[in-house]
Amino acid sequence: MRRLPVYILIDTSGSMQGEPIEAVKVGLADMVAALRQDPYALETVCISIITYDNEVKQILPLTPLEDLQLPEITTPESGATNTGAALKMLCDKYDSEVNRGSSEQKGDWMPLLFVMTDGKPSDIMDYKNIVPVVKSHAFTNIVACAAGPKAKTEHLKQLTDNVVSLDTMDSKTFRKFFQWVSLQVIGGGKSIGTTSSIELPKPPAEVNIVI
Amino acid sequence: MAQIIKATASDGSTVEFYDEVKAQGGMKDVYFSLSKQYVVAFYRKPLKELKASEKDRLQNIVGVYREKIFDKDPHGAYWKNLFAWPEKIVEWDGKIGLVVPFYDSKFFFSGGPFDKQEKNGKWFASAKLRNKFLPDDQKGTWLTHIHVCIKIARAMRRLHAAGLAHSDLSYNNVLIDPISGNACIIDDDGLVVPGKYPPDVVGTPDFIAPEVMTTRNLSIDDPKRKLPSRLTDLHALAVLIYMYLLYRHPLRGGKVWDLDPTKDEELLMGEKALFIEHPTDKTNRVKINDLEKSQLPEGDPSKLPYTICGPYLKPLFDRAFIDGLHNPSARPTAQEWEDALVKTTDLVQPCQNSNCKAHWFVFDNTTKPKCPFCGKEYKGQLPVLNFYYAPSHGRFMSENYRLMVYDKQTLYMWHVNRNIGANEKTSAEDKKPAGDFHFHNGQWILINRRIPDMYEILADGNKKQISVGGFVPLTEGRKILLSAKDGGRLVIVQLVNN
Repeated sequence: MRRLPVYILIDTSGSMQGEPIEAVKVGLADMVAALRQDPYALETVCISIITYDNEVKQILPLTPLEDLQLPEITTPESGATNTGAALKMLCDKYDSEVNRGSSEQKGDWMPLLFVMTDGKPSDIMDYKNIVPVVKSHAFTNIVACAAGPKAKTEHLKQLTDNVVSLDTMDSKTFRKFFQWVSLQVIGGGKSIGTTSSIELPKPPAEVNIVI
Repeated sequence: MAQIIKATASDGSTVEFYDEVKAQGGMKDVYFSLSKQYVVAFYRKPLKELKASEKDRLQNIVGVYREKIFDKDPHGAYWKNLFAWPEKIVEWDGKIGLVVPFYDSKFFFSGGPFDKQEKNGKWFASAKLRNKFLPDDQKGTWLTHIHVCIKIARAMRRLHAAGLAHSDLSYNNVLIDPISGNACIIDDDGLVVPGKYPPDVVGTPDFIAPEVMTTRNLSIDDPKRKLPSRLTDLHALAVLIYMYLLYRHPLRGGKVWDLDPTKDEELLMGEKALFIEHPTDKTNRVKINDLEKSQLPEGDPSKLPYTICGPYLKPLFDRAFIDGLHNPSARPTAQEWEDALVKTTDLVQPCQNSNCKAHWFVFDNTTKPKCPFCGKEYKGQLPVLNFYYAPSHGRFMSENYRLMVYDKQTLYMWHVNRNIGANEKTSAEDKKPAGDFHFHNGQWILINRRIPDMYEILADGNKKQISVGGFVPLTEGRKILLSAKDGGRLVIVQLVNN
């Protein structure tokens, strides 16, 4: 059976400490709980979480939704936002974890990628170099999320046209954002329009899509 | 607490609901009413962007079509259980919404891991979801799944009889309750009226008909473009029935049509669609190595082939997935599915293994019946009643219709008389048991409860009445005239001995 891999990249740099990271954790936990109530998601979805600050860690390898236990997410006191290195790890994990199938065996669906940051890449050269590599990997959709007033969208726009910006980083905003993410994840099992795709539900009011 | 909104509906009544989106569908946001008797589903597309024809369609759905099925039909009350049909239109905040009755409580999980969630049909149509997540007490039996399929086929038969097509029949748009064997068709606002209102959706993945999938990328005005219609509903209906009885998809086999999963999906549901159990073309057979452990044994057609559904359903599956897969006019109608499903319930036998999860199986017309789900062989005597009818006086012809007997089973009027059907038209009187079967003192008997003219036909051709309250033993070759009235059936008993 084809799995639907979902990669979530979370900025854990120093500025995320305190309320923002707690809000992200609540949002993630809610999202997992909601997806576990959805038959389409339970049948197909696998999730991986990669955190990045000075260091990049895959804190959750690609795991079926039903077996998933959210690991502890920690943030250092201060430090860089190595978005480029995080995307590098993403590409490596994609290559090793996603089953691309063969002419004899069905592989996985093309993954979904969500990248969240509250700032801008510190490793700007690495970032620039890795963006084309990410794009050479097939994704169903890439959504980038710029959270809070200091987040910069211009780098994210190099990665994807789907950039969502959150004005604040409180738990209510993150909760709504992750609810919206869940809807994107389960969207594959829904009705398809005759002319184009049916418009997906709008992101929550606190979220602005950057065009 | 969310603010309360008051709005005036199309029929002048007041609609009150909380200003809070409780659920989101493909095109609509759902709000709950104060009374919990109904919900209001607003289209996200603003009213001013709605075409006149779209608005007109909604008005007809809550108007003439609703009246036709629910008010003018003498069995309207029956249909209300099978559809959550929009009742009125309401406008608010520049949007148009539909007032839809709240679903009956049996269509929500109560307790367990999915407490208060809608019973989306997908839960019950996938081996993995059933084997891994669904609590046992929610699964019903194989017989109640047949009952669910009967309700869906019947609802589609009624829609089609009204000249309508659903256009997006899928497990997302059917709530089912396998515990009681019920189903309810929801999201009826996408209805297609041939020549009048075109569909807005092509359907839901898994249920889109091959001809619609194949022509999906043509322009909507291209004459070769195929859109949902009554015939594509019939494809979706066949897929639903197959999935509810066998817990796998009839077209999802092992064949890789394209390395790109999106293209592969388009081909396997479209141009290249091929039944995984095609009798001669084995290209798309399920590969066991592709399956997860939780998909077994149901995911493996060699263990549980579609033929376990019995002699009435097998030819319909053949027509739906072999002859009619790429030839829509060959697909069985909803009426044919309903008839075959109803007749199949007369062929089921309780499994003698008390731990069998299916509980019931279809008699396989052999002398050594065996439950295909758990492998338990039937031990003991098994009476089979073969039905005959008289097209002209005194001359009886086989109907190719059998009733399997089990202990404490009921004989109904639709068994007794050929002119009585088991459907929405069955009267309360005809729903009362006519007789019952028992294994009593080492022999099978039929007790007549209320048929005044039931007779045993003796070997010399004479008739001997079986009085109300009396009984007749079921022995090999015995002939029983269930009723002497017009349409009354003659039974010839066969006994399987194991």
